[in-house]
This record gives sequence, structure tokens and C-alpha cells, in this order.
Amino acid sequence: MSSSGASDGRTSAAPGSLVIPGDKICTDSGGQLGHGVMKLDGSIIATKLGYIVEKGGEISVTPLHTAYFPRPGDLVLGYIEGMRANIWFIDLGAPFNAILPMSLAPMKVEFGATRDAMNVGTTILCRVQEIDESHSSVVTMKGMGLRKVNSGFVDTVPPHLVSLLSSGNNPILSQLKDASNCRIILGANGRVWVDGEPEGIRTVRDTLSFIRDNGDSDNLSSKVADHLKQGNGE
Amino acid sequence: MGYGDVQMIDEKGNRVDGRKAGDLRPIEIELGVVPVADGSASVRWGTNYVIASIYGPMEAHPRKIQRQERAVLDVRYNMAPFSTTDRFRPGFNRRSREISKVTAEALESVVLLELYPRSKIRIEIEVICAEAGTRCVGLTAASLALADAGIPMTDMVVSVASGKINDVVVCDLNKEEDNYGEADLPMGILPNSGELVFLQMDGDLSPEQFQEAWDYNMDAATKIHLMMKEAIANKYGGES
Amino acid sequence: MGQPLVPELLRTHLAELAARDERADGRGQWDGRDLSVEVGVLERAEGSAKVQMGDTIVFTGIKFQIQTPYPDRPDEGGLMTSVELRPLAGRHIEPGPPSPESIEMARVVDRGIRESGCIDTKNLCIIAGEKVWQVIIDCFAISDDGNLFDAFALAAIAALHNATLPGERFDIGEDRPLPVNKTPIMCSFQKVGGRFIYDANREEELGGDERIHITLGGDDHVHSLQKGLKGAFTASEFAEIMDAAKQRCAELKKIVDSL
Repeated sequence: MSSSGASDGRTSAAPGSLVIPGDKICTDSGGQLGHGVMKLDGSIIATKLGYIVEKGGEISVTPLHTAYFPRPGDLVLGYIEGMRANIWFIDLGAPFNAILPMSLAPMKVEFGATRDAMNVGTTILCRVQEIDESHSSVVTMKGMGLRKVNSGFVDTVPPHLVSLLSSGNNPILSQLKDASNCRIILGANGRVWVDGEPEGIRTVRDTLSFIRDNGDSDNLSSKVADHLKQGNGE
Repeated sequence: MGYGDVQMIDEKGNRVDGRKAGDLRPIEIELGVVPVADGSASVRWGTNYVIASIYGPMEAHPRKIQRQERAVLDVRYNMAPFSTTDRFRPGFNRRSREISKVTAEALESVVLLELYPRSKIRIEIEVICAEAGTRCVGLTAASLALADAGIPMTDMVVSVASGKINDVVVCDLNKEEDNYGEADLPMGILPNSGELVFLQMDGDLSPEQFQEAWDYNMDAATKIHLMMKEAIANKYGGES
Repeated sequence: MGQPLVPELLRTHLAELAARDERADGRGQWDGRDLSVEVGVLERAEGSAKVQMGDTIVFTGIKFQIQTPYPDRPDEGGLMTSVELRPLAGRHIEPGPPSPESIEMARVVDRGIRESGCIDTKNLCIIAGEKVWQVIIDCFAISDDGNLFDAFALAAIAALHNATLPGERFDIGEDRPLPVNKTPIMCSFQKVGGRFIYDANREEELGGDERIHITLGGDDHVHSLQKGLKGAFTASEFAEIMDAAKQRCAELKKIVDSL
């Protein structure tokens, strides 16, 4: 092997193939770059472990695991972690907590009375309003349907599967609602709120566990359909 | 260090464990071995057995370690009490602290830290069983665990140590060779570019011997890189 | 950070499930998770075991050292149990000195082993008054998804049964198996949603209340008890738990003895 050490192992890889960080995908021909890739020395390389996706000229890597990144407009489920006299700190499962200012709460709150209004451990449905320069995200509870959550249960799916669950011909989200008779809200941060009869909640939780284990296979939608059928047939 | 008094390589070039000068010890890689972590990996390398797990990116606490423009890597390298023949006492250990630091610095050179400002990524490296080169195994395992966790990096990191025994340069020192040999050169290599993110050395190497040891490490990095890809492909399948 | 965040919804949900005699993962009140036990898994330890209960994974290693005996017990060796709760095993585990939780764990596991008398410390004598063996049980968590107590205790006794006194390495004689004359087993119960369950996973631990740890030896002899965390329980609740413990301890004892 040459003493320069470079593995010469940068091989071009086709869409759909599994790549690891550092793998060369193709030469940089000025195309659009999506998630999980970057330009390096005239090539496009993968930065994450996942599958290459090419869509409309844009190259990206769908990662097997990913952290949630708040974006303005995201509907999310958060937990109140703490508060000060005029703000709450919200855990979104993201690299940093969000803040909910008093002015954006769903109820009228007196300065200093934040704890009385909503205490630590409260689950809330809120929307990401903005990300400020110091990379803090601000969430709001002023808006249709945004509220404290008092019943049901919050489970999780990997954030990168969230859009997959509500897309396609027979969206997985609809399948779940039909099979369980539960209300389900999918947060962009991968948190899933489920409410209904305990049996229905169990069906949803069990299916979410199946999705977590099989999230990266193709035809997830039909696999879930089969899984639900099996569950009913028992 | 004994200088050449212990016979560790014979005229036919066989080392004590049967390897030739350029051979690696057997290596086994597994991902996802800590179910509750965001990412994890285990590496068996000779008798070494190291597990690394990743938590994050998460809010950086305490505030004083936070950096405005990028993530910080919070790395802990530690040896389990049963990892060594004489029990390894739990608690603060200077060697472990040094290895944690150089490992963090190596990984900071590949992780895209700017994507997660003000956050931290915890990298926990535990040596379950030790047999020479644990810092290399740890760094390698950490890079696999980071990939498993979906943390973006410009490349994987492969770390290996070559050295000298009985005045012969050999790849991947085992326990006796590390104890009685004359030199030890651990390196952390980015297999796609050949760049180094980790380098230490102690002992005595002539310029030619140094180049030989360097080349052995580079060569080993290519081989180990392929093993990584194979292990990952076996677990997740090659195609989506 | 400190105390982990416990969403209120979790406690309400667990209570609802409990009221219907259900658990989130579909187990029965006294059912344990999928279990695997392997011995002889750590090359540098003189005895070892790996236990996996659901997603909780632990290693326990047995190491021997030589020490001078206590003057008032010149022919008895020593036994020490240590628990390492490293940040490797969970997001909630902070780096730093041993937490009160890990110290309690070590002491509870230790008590179960010691009080059962499964190790006769007189068997650990090398030269009376001068040299005795010290048995060190090192419990190490790899993945914490709840009920580390039972995982550690099970791994500890399995590792002890697997242990060899390293006479050769210390130049004292031949290697011989460590004499272990019993198989004490610990079962832990936690009050979740108002009733006790066996083998809580992390979610149940987080949303649950008081715990009771019971170590039983052969013939249902009780060797140690510990109640942890805030809360109160009745005599009839205790009797129910004890019945469940007798059954489960017998099952686990069979598994360990067959390894």
C-alpha cells in the first residue's frame, strides 16, 4: 500500500446504497446538496451513516439516526423543564432547550406566576416560532390547537421518519388512527401524542415500536399494514 | 522497557502470537450494543474489548462549557475494574484523563461541530478488557459509535499502533510487545484522505524505522476501514 | 442537570394501565423481561457473568486480591461489592463520584450475597494471621433500562459460581474453584400506578414510587430486605410480593445453577 496512506477508497456510490461518513458519493458537478452530505475537494461526500437519496437533482443521505433540529413552523410536543418569572424552558429533545415567553402562553400569566400556570413536567403542544441569533428557539402556544396536554401518552419515533409517516397513498398515520380509534398528533420532533382507550393506545405504542425497529426498510407503509393486520387477527 | 532481551520475533518472522510483522490482531466490530444510547459500538481487537456510547447532541450543561458557535465534545475514557489482570481501581486516573483529552481533540477534527452550536455531545468509552492499544481501540470505537448516532463527520477515524520489537518494526503491538518492545507509535487516521488526527510516540526509532511503522499504520487503516464498512453493511444491509 | 424530568402524563398513564392490570409493554404484573445469562465472558476477571434483562445489560467481574486479615478474625477472608454506574449506560447518568443510588445498589447487592453465607470466609484463608483472599465483586452497567438491582445481583451470583481462586498467579498453589455453597437470588418490586410490579423497566422506574428488594436463598430463606424511595406499603401487599418473589427466585436459581 502506498505510504501516502490515502485509502483510494473513495468510490462513487449509487442512490440507495449505504454510506458511512467520508464515503465519496460522486464528483461535485454543482448540484444541490441536501441533508447528510458536504462538498470536499471537488467531490460530494457523505457525512452521515445512511442511504443515498437523489431527488430532483438534489443529493442527500437519509440517516439511520438523527437528532431533531427545530425549524420555524414546526408543531412539536415539549416538556416544561423549568421556569423563571416570565419564561418557561421547554425540552424538545433537541440539542438545546426552547423558551416559551410569558407573552406567548395560552393563558394570561402574571409576572412571577409562571409556576402556578404551568409547572415542571407539564406536556405541551406548541409551535416553533423562531430561532434567534444565539440559536435559541422560541416556541409559542398562541394558535389553533396549541395547548397543555392533560391526557393520553407521548411516545417517540426517530425524527427523520416523521414526514414519512404522514405521506404517501396510505399514510401510516391514517392506518394507525383507523386501527386504534385514537387521536394521534405527530410532533416534528419525533414525539407522538396518543389519546384514547387503553387498548387503542397499546396498539399505537406497539406499532410505533415496530416502526422504530424497521424504520429504514422500504415499503414501511405496507409492512405496518401487515403488522396491524396480524395484531387484529390474534 | 526491555531493550531486545526478550525474544519476541524469530528468524522466520513469527511473533509470539503467530503473526507476521505486518499482521493485525483479529478485530470484530458491532454497532448498536447499548440499546438505550443514541448510538454505540463495540470493538473486540485481540483480547481488547471496548464499548463506546454516544448521547446527544444535547443542551450543554453546565453553562460554562457551552460554546456559542459550535458543539463541545465531552469525552470520557475509562477502564473497568475487571479490565486488567490486577484489578484497576475505580476513580480518577491521570492516564485516563489524558487519553480522554487527546481522543476529544482527535474527534473534534472530524465532527461537524458547527452544526450544533451551544450543545454538547457525550462520548463514553469504556475498556471492558484491556490488551495493549486500548486508546486506539477506544478512538476507533468512538468513531463508529458517532456514526451509529447519526453525528455528521467528514470521515471515520481509524486508530492503530505499530512499534518495534527486537529491532524489528511490527504492526499492531500486543501486550508483551508493548511491555518489552522498544517503540510504540499510535496514530489516528482518516482513511479517505490519509490525514492524521491523533499522533503519539514513545521509544526509539531510526528515521527508516519510523517510516516503516508509519506505513504499517496507514496500511492497517485501509484494512480496518473496510472491516468497518463490512460490519455496518452486515447490520443494516447494503441497499435501502 | 440532577433529577430526570418526569412528565406528569407518564404517571397518569401508568396509573391508568395499573387500574386495568396492564403494563405498557404488555407484561403481567409479576412477569420479568426476556432474560439471558452468560458466564465466563471477561478474560481478565477470575469469574464473570453478563446479564441482559430486556434492554438492561450488565457485566459483573470477580477479582481476587490478597490482604492481611483483621486481627480479630485472623482466618477469614474479605468480601467487597462495588457498583460502577458509568455514564456509558444512560443519558440520565452523570459523570462524577459514586451517587447515593449506586452506593445503595452496591450495599444491597452485597448484603444479599454476604448474609446468605454463600461464601464461607474461612475458605478464603491462605496463612492464618498473615494472608487471606479478598473477593471483589465489580458490578458494571452497560445499558440502564431499569432494574439494575436485579441484573447486578443475578450477574454477581452467576459470576461467583464461575470464579476460580488464582493461586498460580499469586504463587500460592494451584488454581481452584471458589467454593460457593448457595445461590441467593434478588427480586425487586416497584410500586407503579398504585400497585407493585416485578422487574420495572426504566419508564416504570421513572414514573413509579417505592421499591422493595428481596433476596432469597434455598428453601425460601430470607437473606436480605430493603425498601427504597418514598412511599408506604401494607402487610398484605408485602405478602403478595413475597409470594411472587418465592416463585421467581426459584426460577432464577435454577437458571444460575444450570450454567
